[in-house]
Amino acid sequence: MEQLWFTKILNHLFAAPVTSFLRTLRIELKHPMAPISDSFAMELLVFAFLLALFLLVRSRLSVESPGGLQHGFEAIEGFVLDQSREIIGHHSEPYTAFFAIIFIFILICNLIGLIPGFESPTGVPIVPLGCAICAFLYYHTQGFKHAGPKYLLHFFGPPMEGMPLVARILLAALMLPIELVSHFARLLSLTVRLWANIFAGDLITLVFFSMIPIGVPIIFSGLHIVVAILQAYVFMLLSIIYVSGAVADEH
Amino acid sequence: MPSSTPPEKPVPDQKKSPWVQVGRYSQLAMMLPAGTVAGWLLGSALDRWLHTSWISVVGLLLGIAAGMIELIRTVLRDTE
Repeated sequence: MEQLWFTKILNHLFAAPVTSFLRTLRIELKHPMAPISDSFAMELLVFAFLLALFLLVRSRLSVESPGGLQHGFEAIEGFVLDQSREIIGHHSEPYTAFFAIIFIFILICNLIGLIPGFESPTGVPIVPLGCAICAFLYYHTQGFKHAGPKYLLHFFGPPMEGMPLVARILLAALMLPIELVSHFARLLSLTVRLWANIFAGDLITLVFFSMIPIGVPIIFSGLHIVVAILQAYVFMLLSIIYVSGAVADEH
Repeated sequence: MPSSTPPEKPVPDQKKSPWVQVGRYSQLAMMLPAGTVAGWLLGSALDRWLHTSWISVVGLLLGIAAGMIELIRTVLRDTE
């Protein structure tokens, strides 16, 4: 089985404990000697990289002489804050941390595939699905936190004043499955958009590299960088839009 | 009949950034197919679970409706 060098190292070190752990969960593996997949290894690498980066920034935090790294992160934070303030409104600060981390994580995951010897974890559908589930759970949790049990009213369609009760109940019964499907569709569209873009970008770079290995792939790598940034941004923006829908006061 | 007073438009305190618009409108294209596929997937999962064969069709129709509603809702909100 083909593996990246980093996955090989991880599997060499942790194959036995991971396999035995998965066996206790009754998960049987195709390759018991290599339970860690490339995408998971890359995700771990991005996680470790971000953790180290944040610790570094935290240790060097200074008001008088902020370094370049601090400036960079402040710029990202300010950008995310601006976006969420524009969409959610003035009470958007508590949510900014989640948006910022999902933006940075997906961005690094998208870009790491450009370095030879690495691979974009977001090019495998399970990773974007995980991110989408995080965003999905997050906006529902925030909706519940904001409105309490009244949040469930969101699933029964818009409030119709002056409508007879029977019609309102009928409309709610019709709207409930439609709303459930549309929330599931959000999950699907977040996953598929990110995965398909990164997968296609990697594939195009690879195809052109195998045809004309000099010069031309650079153009597509550049294109891939644009797509990577744009998709991370769109994922963050949609999370913000979903949170704003969940915490909005409609009545 | 034209009204005598010009319609009052709420003045936005800040201009909507083009980035937000781009993100929102790129989402529009995904809405309809995503709703349709999601409805069908949910329906066929229920079919497999309950050993029936009609829920996937209902799910497909609901998914199309959900996609349309989501699309119309977004467009209405953005053109307010």
